[in-house]
Amino acid sequence: MSTEEKRQEILAKLKNAVIQYDEDTSKEASKEALELGLEANDAIFNGLVSGMEEVGRLFEAQEYFVPELLMCADALYAGLDILKPHVKQLELGVRGSVVIGTVEGDVHDIGKNIVKMMFDVAGFTVYDLGRDVPLDKFVEEQMKTDSDLVCLSAMMTTTMVGMKKVIEDLKAKNPNVKIMIGGAPVSQDIADKWGADGYAKDANNALKDAINMISSLKKLKEEAEAKKGS
Amino acid sequence: MTGALEKELLASGATVVGFAIVKPALSDEIAHLEKAVSIGVDRNLNEDTVRSLVSLQKKAAGFLKRKGYKYLCIPPDSDRIKSTFVSKLYHLFTHKIAATSAGIGWIGRNGLLISPVYGPRLSLATVLTDAPLKTGEPIEFSLCGDCRMCVDFCPSKAITGKDWSRFDPFIELVRSVDCSSHKRKSKSMNGKPNCGLCINICPYGRKPVQTV
Repeated sequence: MSTEEKRQEILAKLKNAVIQYDEDTSKEASKEALELGLEANDAIFNGLVSGMEEVGRLFEAQEYFVPELLMCADALYAGLDILKPHVKQLELGVRGSVVIGTVEGDVHDIGKNIVKMMFDVAGFTVYDLGRDVPLDKFVEEQMKTDSDLVCLSAMMTTTMVGMKKVIEDLKAKNPNVKIMIGGAPVSQDIADKWGADGYAKDANNALKDAINMISSLKKLKEEAEAKKGS
Repeated sequence: MTGALEKELLASGATVVGFAIVKPALSDEIAHLEKAVSIGVDRNLNEDTVRSLVSLQKKAAGFLKRKGYKYLCIPPDSDRIKSTFVSKLYHLFTHKIAATSAGIGWIGRNGLLISPVYGPRLSLATVLTDAPLKTGEPIEFSLCGDCRMCVDFCPSKAITGKDWSRFDPFIELVRSVDCSSHKRKSKSMNGKPNCGLCINICPYGRKPVQTV
C-alpha cells in the first residue's frame, strides 16, 4: 500500500473515531499516525477536526445531542493529547492567544469548554479562567497575557449583564482587543449594543462558529502555502 | 434484546441487572435517553469492584452501539474522571434513581440502595439509552419496616430515620455534614476515612460472620 493510501486510511480512522466517540481508537490511530511519520498538523486538521466538523453537522441535524457532542470532544482530546507535542509551529497567518471564561456568578461551562477546545485545536494559546470568574480578572488576565481575543460566556440573564462591564473595561484599557460573547441569553443585538466583536448563540452555534473559524484559518493557511509555493 | 443484554452482563460478572424508564428524572440535555440499564456488582470493597463495573458498562455500551442505539455511560461514583467533557453531565443523574426505577431495590434509612437479596452491598453503574428495552416495575416505598439499626448504630447520629418513598425524593435521610465530619475525624485518628457501619449493620443481605 502506498504511503498516500495509508495516510488516507489513518485520517479516516481518526475522523471516524471522533464521530463514533471512540476514545480508544482515537488514541490508537494517533499513535499510528506518528509511527507512520504523518505530520501532526495533518492528522489533527484533516483527521480529528474534520471528524468534529461532521459532529457539528450531526448536532445541527439533531442526530447528535449534548451527550454525544461531549463524548466526541473527549475522543478528540484523547487524540490531540498524543499529537499535540509533535505539532510544529503553525503557520496560520492569524494566530494568537485567547482569554476565555464564564462570567462571575455563573457555573455553566459546557459551551465555554467546547469553544476552548476549538481554540486549543487551532493552535491558539488559551488562558482558561474557568467558571464564575470575577469580572476584573478578565481585564487583568488580558493585560497580563496581552491576548488578542477575549471570550466571555454566560448562561443566565442575571449573570449576562456582567459581560457589559467587562467589555467596557476591556475596550477602555485596550481598544484593539477583540471580544467574543456567547451563551443562551445573549443575542446578536446585545452583542452589537454592548460593543462585542463576535457572538455565538449557544453551545451549538459556538461550536459551529469555532469550526467556521478553524475552517477559515485552514483556508488562510492553505492560501499562505499556495502563495509561498508560487 | 433486553434478555440478551441481561444475559451478557450477568455472564460477565454483574450481580444484578435492571432496566428502567427514567425519563421524568432527566434534565433536558439527556432527556432523549429515556431508559436506563442499571448494573449492580456485589461490593467486596476493593478496586476490582470498580474495574468490573467499568468493564460491564463498556460491554453494555458496546452492545447498544452495535444495535445502533444512543447511550451515555454514567460511571461508578468512584471512577469519575473530572477532567473529561462528558463528566459535566454526570451530576445530572444518580445511579439510585435507575436502580429503584428498575425494581432492584429501595432507598433505605441509611440513604443507600437496598436490595432485598444483597442489602446495601451493591456498587452501581448506569447506562442511559434510547433503546426500546423491556423495563421492570419500580419499587415505590421503603421496605425497611421498623428496623432502625443503622439509625441507632450511626456513630455520628447522621441518619434522620425518615422513610424514603419514590414520591418524596427530596426528603433528608442522612445529614451529609454530620456523616462527612465523622469521616474526617476517623481519618485524622487512623488515616482512613472509612466508616460504613450503616452498610455492615443492615440485616438485608448480611453475610454470615466468617469464623477462622
